[in-house]
Amino acid sequence: MKNRFIERPRSFCALGGAMLTAGAIPGVVPILHTAMGCGGSIYWNQIGSTGFLGAGYCGGLAVPSSNVKEKDIIFGGTERLTEQIENTVKLVEGDLYIVLTGCMTDIIGDDIHSVIREFQSKDVKIIGAETGGFKGDGYKGYDLVLQTIISNFIEKKAEKINNKVNLWGIVPGQDAFWRGNLNNLRSLLNKLGLEVNSFFTESDTLEGVKNAGDAALNILVSEFYGIDAAEIFEDIHGVPYTTFPLPIGASATEEFLKKISEVLNIDKALTDKVIENENTFYYKYIDRIADTYNDQDFQRYAVVVGDGNYSLALTRFLADDLGWMPELTVITDVFDEEKQLKISDYLNNLNSGYKTKVVYETDASEIQYHLSRHWPRSNGQRFYDAFSPAFVVGSHLERQLAKDIGAEHLTVSYPVGNRVVLTRGYTGYLGGLNMIEDIFSVLVAQR
Amino acid sequence: MSYVDEKVAPRREERLGTIIDFGGCACDLKKNFNGGCLKNNDRGFCQGTICQLLPGLSMLNTIPDSVVIVHGSLGCGGAGHSQSASIRGRQILGGSDNPRGTLWLSTNLNESDVVNGGEAKLEEAIIEADRRYRPASIIVVSSCVPGIIGDDIDGVAAKIQPQVNGVILSVHCEGFKTKVMATAYDAVYHAISRNLLEAKKEEIIIIHDELEEATEKIRRSKQVNLMNVSSGTPGDEQELTRLLNALGLEVKIFPCFTHPDDMKYATQAALSISTCPTHDDYFLKYLNEKFGVPYLLRYMPIGIENTNSWLRDVSKFFHLEEVAERIIERETVELEISLKTIRENLKGKKAMLSAGEVRTLATAGWLQELGLEIIAVRPYHYDEFGEPALDKLIEKDSNLQVNVGTVQPFETVNIIERNRPDIYLGHNSDNIWAAKSGIPILPIYGGPNTYVGYVGAFDFARSINRVLKNPAFNQNLRKNVRQPYFKDWYTDQPYKYIVQGGDI
Repeated sequence: MKNRFIERPRSFCALGGAMLTAGAIPGVVPILHTAMGCGGSIYWNQIGSTGFLGAGYCGGLAVPSSNVKEKDIIFGGTERLTEQIENTVKLVEGDLYIVLTGCMTDIIGDDIHSVIREFQSKDVKIIGAETGGFKGDGYKGYDLVLQTIISNFIEKKAEKINNKVNLWGIVPGQDAFWRGNLNNLRSLLNKLGLEVNSFFTESDTLEGVKNAGDAALNILVSEFYGIDAAEIFEDIHGVPYTTFPLPIGASATEEFLKKISEVLNIDKALTDKVIENENTFYYKYIDRIADTYNDQDFQRYAVVVGDGNYSLALTRFLADDLGWMPELTVITDVFDEEKQLKISDYLNNLNSGYKTKVVYETDASEIQYHLSRHWPRSNGQRFYDAFSPAFVVGSHLERQLAKDIGAEHLTVSYPVGNRVVLTRGYTGYLGGLNMIEDIFSVLVAQR
Repeated sequence: MSYVDEKVAPRREERLGTIIDFGGCACDLKKNFNGGCLKNNDRGFCQGTICQLLPGLSMLNTIPDSVVIVHGSLGCGGAGHSQSASIRGRQILGGSDNPRGTLWLSTNLNESDVVNGGEAKLEEAIIEADRRYRPASIIVVSSCVPGIIGDDIDGVAAKIQPQVNGVILSVHCEGFKTKVMATAYDAVYHAISRNLLEAKKEEIIIIHDELEEATEKIRRSKQVNLMNVSSGTPGDEQELTRLLNALGLEVKIFPCFTHPDDMKYATQAALSISTCPTHDDYFLKYLNEKFGVPYLLRYMPIGIENTNSWLRDVSKFFHLEEVAERIIERETVELEISLKTIRENLKGKKAMLSAGEVRTLATAGWLQELGLEIIAVRPYHYDEFGEPALDKLIEKDSNLQVNVGTVQPFETVNIIERNRPDIYLGHNSDNIWAAKSGIPILPIYGGPNTYVGYVGAFDFARSINRVLKNPAFNQNLRKNVRQPYFKDWYTDQPYKYIVQGGDI
């Protein structure tokens, strides 16, 4: 892993991820202990990258923030934080306040925990996390917020409920489709008879989060995000976890349901019945678009660009469900070797047997170079087998790549600045249909 | 010795005594500001806001053929994602068939860089940016972290400059260093002044004969610098260019969307004309002091009276008063005909405004002229550049309520609940909190609209008139979406959390 600059980063900083994560939990009010511009910087990022996810209940520029100044940096910021918390709990209605630090207050080493303990002793529902931007990306911020909730808020329960699970691995904001993605998977797991706590959707409650300690299993629909939190959950609450790559479409989702059912010892007949019903539903819809797929030659070569979750999920969906040829999969996270091996292993074993070239690249402007290396350019021969017809599924930054290589393009991964996202999700069977709807809509948009 | 000779531009709270914490009537604001009693004010409760990095990036991201390197943590340049979208929008309005938005890099300072320093990483980023993108300028902007770990970005720039083609600008925008986000304008102009105003030797035009020399002299005697702002629209620039062209002047626009190689032409003009005094004073004073370019820095041409005054100031400088009067006569007569029914609709409607200092106050002035009642103005900061527009508001309403604060929507919603305005004109990311209070919104800048000159005056009027035609969307919001404050906040004093700092 090279420690260098990143072009147009495809992630919030740890604080940004933490603020969006905390703000997505019902009843939670984040309190930033940062310099004055962190709130604005996060919000101005958010408005251009998350499918127009607005401020919500107490985010955006309403977020309480200590706005430490030069004198606080010199003399310490805990006095300012104390005053800020005192006034926040008088003014802003929250069921749980979460203090999140930024670069400045982390570097000067403000002891937020003693300030927080002081308020806890006065029965204020408040916890905190050290989330300075330099500690990592938005995914790290997500993990850090989960960690403090697990350690400091979720109640310990000796008895576990064997049909109750927590669902994680989808990061609010980093995934513009987080709500739809969580909702789709929750509905599916419900069909297996499971009670699902997904923390961040409109169906979740803070009470539910507080009582998450009696779940039988933590399900992470990610091989990468929330793992440290899941480890801590296991240590503190004795709940094991299982991971599965974000499932989009019939083939991945079927495998996902089978795995969960196996881990939780769910009646196989029930699982098979659920899968059968879902497949029937899925193919009722596919049936009616198949005419056009075949008449209009809707098969494409593809470039997939996304974070750990989407790069795997989209590559698999395009290859296994859609019968497309993902030739280049660009993973925009900076991953260590262990994670890279996991990715190769997954992408080398797709059901269709189709093999994509995997590269690790953070910078949008460098992707065309990787493509040229993988698919040689024309050297002027009369009959050249071009990378065409082609489609790029990535972020809105890939619009330029698509234009340059004459491909069509759909924005799915962060930053999502050219689509509005409300209820839409791509996970599960319904999500696979949504994906087909969106991709094929691009193909017919000029008609 | 000028400010520009120093590495870093001074903070506005020191250079201008700028303040950001006040609530009360306009007369008290004037009196106490002039008495220096407000500069140590603070807030005991604050909300996340805008630091100097953000408007700094708003300007710098517009500079074509350049790469911005944000030297800081991963998140500090993130505003580029939304700024790129608006820049792309402008490129489309400007006729580009391949709008690329903006390009920036983050040095992504991590835990080890915080301990060991980030200079080497910055060096690599500059060299690689030059190799990869071949930009005309490489703009290094430092955020908070380098400011505290002691990275010397000017030293890095000086060291690496001989190795790269692009001109390196170092811009100091450490958020914690100033409470006045408008310090950003000075920081940006500071870097432009230090790096882009001197013509390279090979670019100096050699004039061969007297006729050519005379022609050039006459041309330059009619050439003006029109200063724009990153929150301006193409319509704004077209409108002001139209008016200046009508006076027979040749217009060059600076600094947003101006190519780095073209910045130096700002030194050749007969006059610099600001469109937002609080935005431009640092630069225009420098151009005057160093290159002898006089300047006008009084009016933001929003609304009929301000536009008239702005145009008259320019015409007076060039002794073109009669031409200006003819333009004013023609424009206002036509405008009044079109405004007639709109004025009737808007008469007595209550408005509240919130945004940058001069824009807020000048727009409020135009709304007063249109017959609306101003229930409160919320300038993001206040200093001497707000005074002319504030004086004009005071003439009509000496008890006008002024709340100086950079965003801080908790005060906004309190004032709204007390006064229930019919319309709110606010800054990007500020509007939503008034919207949730059920108030119809007109953004105070941006998008495809025009906000300045006579076209802008009409656009404001017809847009407010339009917005009032159907307020259902925000009324539904009020009914169904909860604001985060306890109920008793709305009956409390709105400025309760402003702490008087006194004259320490």
